[in-house]
Amino acid sequence: MFAVLIDQFWSLTIAGIALGFIYVLISLGYTMVYGVLRMINFANSEIFMWGTFGTIITSRDLFGYTQTSEPAKGFKLALVLLVSLLMSMLVAGLTAVFVEFVAYRRLRAKGTNRLATLISAIGISIALQELMRLLTHSRPVGAPRVLEKIILSEVWGANIRLDTVITIIAAAIIYFILERFIKLSRMGKAIRAVSQNEDAAKLMGVNLNRVITTTFLVGGLATGAAGFFYVTVFEYTKFNIGFTMGMAAFTAAVLGGIGNIRGAFFGGLTLGLLEVYASAILGTQWKAVTVFIVLVLVLLFKPNGLFGEAVQQTRA
Amino acid sequence: MKIRDYFNLRDWGATLWENASRSKRIVIAISSVILVGLLPFAGASFLATPIAAYDAVLVYPVGVFVLMALGLNIVVGKSGMLDLGYVAFFAIGAYTMALMGTHTGLNTWEIMPFGIGFAMLAGVLLGLPTLRLRGDYLAIVTLGFGEIVRLVVLNSTWSKGPNGIANIPMPPDIGPLKFKLDDQKVFFWVVVIMILLTIWMIRRLSVRRPGRAWEAIRQDEDAAELMGVPTLKYKIWSFTLGAAVGGAAGVLYASKNLFIAPEMFTLNVSILILSCVVFGGIGNIWGVVVGATILGYLPDRIRFISDARLFVFGTVLVVVMNFRPDGLLPRKKREKAIVKREVNA
Amino acid sequence: MNQKIKQGLAIVTAAALAFGLASVSTATAANKTYYIAYQGPLSGGEASTGIDEQNAVKYAAKLFMAKNKGITIKVVSVDDQGDPAVASTVAPGIGTNKNILGVVGPAYSGATIASLPYYKQGGLVLISPSATRVSLTDPASPDFGGPVFHRVVGKDDLQGPALAKYATAGVANAKVFIFDDQSAYAVPLAGFVTSGLKKVTGASVVGTDSVPNTTTDFSPTIAKIKTSGATVVIYTGYYSQAAIFIKQLRDSGSTAIFAGGDGVFNQEFPKLAGNAAEGSRVTGVGGLAGISSKLEADFKKQMGVSSGVYSVESYDAANILLEGIKAGKTTRALMLKWVNAYKGKSVSGNTIKFDKNGDISYGLFAGFTSKSGVLVNTGIIK
Repeated sequence: MFAVLIDQFWSLTIAGIALGFIYVLISLGYTMVYGVLRMINFANSEIFMWGTFGTIITSRDLFGYTQTSEPAKGFKLALVLLVSLLMSMLVAGLTAVFVEFVAYRRLRAKGTNRLATLISAIGISIALQELMRLLTHSRPVGAPRVLEKIILSEVWGANIRLDTVITIIAAAIIYFILERFIKLSRMGKAIRAVSQNEDAAKLMGVNLNRVITTTFLVGGLATGAAGFFYVTVFEYTKFNIGFTMGMAAFTAAVLGGIGNIRGAFFGGLTLGLLEVYASAILGTQWKAVTVFIVLVLVLLFKPNGLFGEAVQQTRA
Repeated sequence: MKIRDYFNLRDWGATLWENASRSKRIVIAISSVILVGLLPFAGASFLATPIAAYDAVLVYPVGVFVLMALGLNIVVGKSGMLDLGYVAFFAIGAYTMALMGTHTGLNTWEIMPFGIGFAMLAGVLLGLPTLRLRGDYLAIVTLGFGEIVRLVVLNSTWSKGPNGIANIPMPPDIGPLKFKLDDQKVFFWVVVIMILLTIWMIRRLSVRRPGRAWEAIRQDEDAAELMGVPTLKYKIWSFTLGAAVGGAAGVLYASKNLFIAPEMFTLNVSILILSCVVFGGIGNIWGVVVGATILGYLPDRIRFISDARLFVFGTVLVVVMNFRPDGLLPRKKREKAIVKREVNA
Repeated sequence: MNQKIKQGLAIVTAAALAFGLASVSTATAANKTYYIAYQGPLSGGEASTGIDEQNAVKYAAKLFMAKNKGITIKVVSVDDQGDPAVASTVAPGIGTNKNILGVVGPAYSGATIASLPYYKQGGLVLISPSATRVSLTDPASPDFGGPVFHRVVGKDDLQGPALAKYATAGVANAKVFIFDDQSAYAVPLAGFVTSGLKKVTGASVVGTDSVPNTTTDFSPTIAKIKTSGATVVIYTGYYSQAAIFIKQLRDSGSTAIFAGGDGVFNQEFPKLAGNAAEGSRVTGVGGLAGISSKLEADFKKQMGVSSGVYSVESYDAANILLEGIKAGKTTRALMLKWVNAYKGKSVSGNTIKFDKNGDISYGLFAGFTSKSGVLVNTGIIK
């Protein structure tokens, strides 16, 4: 039962951390919006899915890579990866702003019940997913291999691969930039002000609509970055991938304490590791069950998640 | 009076009811029940569904959705707890029926109490530890519970795993009324009776102590607790009653479908039922009934746009929520109507 | 009545008249219209399978109509999303719609079981191109589909051993790791692969796993494969997941042989997986392209897309029904008799004849090996 875990511990750990960082970035999409609006952005999973297509468009259509073409090298590699990343962030960011505009803005202006907004978000996520299904004819879309998955070195029997290393480092940098943005920038301060007290912030001259749109945009950018790493690591996307990833990331956000940026970080990593360890020990079919049981146990003892303080309390 | 008030069916219905005498009310109630009972005969009209059989659509999704939405409404609408795992109770009811029906030789009506009982038991077991949580934390825990039930059934051998259970017996005939596959009127009438019983139960409870406690919890849980309402107890009650209705719906569904498999009990069902509740008018029985009817019926009615119908469904949810955020027949309007009448009087 | 409304009414009346005339004239031009149905997933996550199959059915109908002037065939699309819950709402409608003479489908076994009671009641003949679950034609099982159910595809207990044999061919003392995608298709097939391996000398099962079909991170499974020291990995599931998996397996440095069943058999698999798919072994039944490139070219010309999974089976199934219509079997009872007694040639050259449980006699699976981006037929597995 534990033989696999012991034998492959470091491989699993590295895989779990890489996966965890993808969760961290998607969780940010949930947590940012939650922090400000106190609402689950149900459509974040589809924002992520649309983001993955940004990378596909770039590498396949913009740079003309195919399934059989040679991976890029040197400067070209850096260029393609960077443009892909930006494109994914852009697509997801715009989708997020669109979601806010269509599904949230009018309802928020009316100040109506939270559930109506939730259903509106569920509606837009069904529509987004179905639209992509129609566009891709329900088929999976393979991504060309741009980044060669070179094994850099072997540590304790585990392969350290280039794509994993890039994912971990780049995702960590993006997370760090976002955290600084929330803490230090003027807009970040406005976001925190709104999440603490909407009315007071409004009185102090904060443009509420702009803050909320920015929140969605920033959450979307982070989610889009996750889409880029996802495609780079798994070289695949499909119209229905959002649900599973979104569910896991949302769980991660709650695990860490939803509405809390640092919570998303630790929640995402914890979840990534938990998933691979549980799969290795109990079998992959029990992965989701284990995750949810751990979540319930954590919530029972720490009802606000592991890092139960919200965005507003994040010390600047 | 603004013109749009003429189109406010909710207030119109409420006023009609409030102003009616006792005998008039009985006439209204009986004639509406008869009208609903006659619905399966309207299959040749514009109501007919392409591809799917009209009478079958009335039973599932429409009838079963209404029943489940009413059950979920006790939890979400009455006491304000967001439950995203309602499908679990539906699944427990359905699997109780499937396993007992194929192994013990008991019939649907004899299994019904067991299905309801197991669902309620699950409701208590889940509710005791988790109902202390609030809002979105509760939502994700219930969601997890729904997934756990599905995954356990999927990964176990006693439930035949992903293969599902076939040959579930149909309900025995009730006198001259025979349950038939190619004509599901009798199933529909049974669902209608179950719906009426549920509505009766909710209405009775709403005006009594539990109803008042739920209302207090929904508006402000801390205040309710301070005022001496044992909130946990009433939350579990609400949860368990919702579970009971879900379990009953599951038993009937399995017995009507004759075959069940884990893939029928995904999170999508929970979300769809929640959509029915909110779409129709959260907390308002008639709103929930209307919402579930429309959302159950619509996808089958618009089958002619086959490939894009889920896209349309999603768009409809967004549009309706944006323009009628309290649902089609909201609760608030009714309260307003009563106040208005009192002022006028 | 104001001017605008009058104008509008005039237009509507004119349009209605024109439309009415048009429909009358078409009704007289066509002598007879017959309906057959295709049932399978046409929307939702599994839609690509259903769309491929339905295209083959429509293609068969098109060819038939071109050959038999005066007969119009309408293919009714019955979308069950591959989901038994949806199937049991649409099936009563098809079961009671007496215009429909026969059904090609349902595509999936679960949806088939959910639909069967209604079709048995309606005496509606089914010919499935892809429902492979063994219990469907096992009279002792509660899932038994007789007398209405037929299939033109080999069932799992034929495929399982074939897959076991093909995967381990040429490997001495094969250490096999088997995993499935938790679906109703994959879990039973994995069971038949396991029992099939017992007959392969020297082969042993060293590990198993069951991975939800939405998984994209296979690292735990790969860790298990590495620990088990497997030399052969068999996956029962679908091609898109297989493509992700094989890439990750190769990237992890493993050189174990990868094999999959007919769910993996799709030319999209080597395309999605790229170089990693090289040498993968897949069991399946050759598509139209595998039979004749001329046929495939014509298909592409007529339908605008390439033929896909189960195109041969869907085409065969539709032809059985169409030949019945031509032979004047235009009631359900006659059609059922016709199919039960049918003897004819598949486009693949095999003889189609159903046994008393609705199975065809051949159902031999071919082995395919991935070579430079294409799954190449290496012949029937014996």
